Amino acid sequence: MRRYIIPAVLFILLAIQGMAMSLLPANIVYSDLLVTPHWVLCFIVIIAIFYDKDHTYHAIWYGMIFGLLIDVVYTGVLGVYMATYAMTAYVLHGLKELVHANFIVASLLAILSVALADTMLYMIYSFVQVTTISWGNYATSRLLPTVAGNMIFFIILYPCVKNRLEQWSEELTSA
Amino acid sequence: MPSFIRKKRLMTVLIGFVILVVLIGFSMRDRTELTVPEKFIQDTVGWAQSIFHSPIQLVTNTTNNIQDMFHVYEQNEVLKSRLAEYKGLIQKNQQLKKENEELRATIDKTESLSGYTPIQATVIARSSERWFEQMTINRGEEHGVAKDMAVITSEGMVGKIKSVGAFHSTVQLLSGFDRSNKISSWVVREGEDNVFGLIEGYDRESGRLLLEGIKQDVELKKGDVVISSGLGGVFPENLRIGKIDEVVNDQFGLTKTAYVEPFADLFDINHVMVVDRDMQTIMEEEQGGGEQQ
Repeated sequence: MRRYIIPAVLFILLAIQGMAMSLLPANIVYSDLLVTPHWVLCFIVIIAIFYDKDHTYHAIWYGMIFGLLIDVVYTGVLGVYMATYAMTAYVLHGLKELVHANFIVASLLAILSVALADTMLYMIYSFVQVTTISWGNYATSRLLPTVAGNMIFFIILYPCVKNRLEQWSEELTSA
Repeated sequence: MPSFIRKKRLMTVLIGFVILVVLIGFSMRDRTELTVPEKFIQDTVGWAQSIFHSPIQLVTNTTNNIQDMFHVYEQNEVLKSRLAEYKGLIQKNQQLKKENEELRATIDKTESLSGYTPIQATVIARSSERWFEQMTINRGEEHGVAKDMAVITSEGMVGKIKSVGAFHSTVQLLSGFDRSNKISSWVVREGEDNVFGLIEGYDRESGRLLLEGIKQDVELKKGDVVISSGLGGVFPENLRIGKIDEVVNDQFGLTKTAYVEPFADLFDINHVMVVDRDMQTIMEEEQGGGEQQ
């Protein structure tokens, strides 16, 4: 039963991520700042830090699967989110072995991975000409607001799921 | 065997890169239809969103209603003063309609480009990726929605159907239009002939549509209304698009380009109508999609 909860939560986050854009007040969401929700990625970061062991790669698989779902549902250009989220999860998997996981470290890793993922998205999308804005413009109008917006979500999400994931991770290894 | 592990990692990266390029290439070309798994995923996520959507919508509606209640008196005063005006308009409209039908009957031309059947739909989500100006609505193939149909609100046109699933479809908003989604349109001038032009894109910085290909000798005023012409073969006639804001010469000086302010608010959209044109839709041979002249 437990093993279905994580994909279910990721799926709900995926669905709500798009609804937030149409339900939150328009003057917040549609200012000149292109705040992009990466809620699925925020949860994947927590999975990578607290659920994955050194030899398990759940976060990367979830990153691939739910990245692909985001591609299908929200953009129609397949593979971009899939590659970005999987890559970010992989980098995170390598980084978390070097540090001791607590709230501050987790937040820093979350900032890093949201920034990394969004930059990769920008590079791929500008390569295929979905967007044509310049680096400087991108950094101020999208990168910084996106990191800030997602950190708010991460700070709300973190206390809700951290302990549970750690517990399930223990059960997984002892079973 | 460390060298083997490193090789394996290199291979994975390379294969991953190839898959990425293939997938992007596959999905970026203009497809007439989504693949079956894509439709399935779109519908599944759409249903999940519908489940969450209804309670949230209820709350927002209630708060809006309460806010509206405070303005009822003032609104009532304004509406009363308008009512008399409208009564006259209705009568005139009915008369004109009747006359129009009679005249059409005399020349044996009962079909017109302006006829359409609206399909009511609710917006359930918007793309979380802001570079893709698209949204999901809760009507699909089963309700008669097809690719390239126009999508309007009560104010005016907001976009067209980009792809359809069985029960949900994706709308490409006007703000995401580019040169492959042209709309052939008329500029309506008071007391003069209509002027033909093509909506050929969207200026992100000023939030206005670009109406191109206007003849050099034509005078356009600020505030002239732009409507769809129905000549592109997909959209019906007379859909309101926007009003002219500014007219400039194009880069070669041969034609004029007008900036058009859309009537509809492209951000705050809740209910839309998908427009199913009554007149036979012309399927295009070329892959350009959208309306072309």
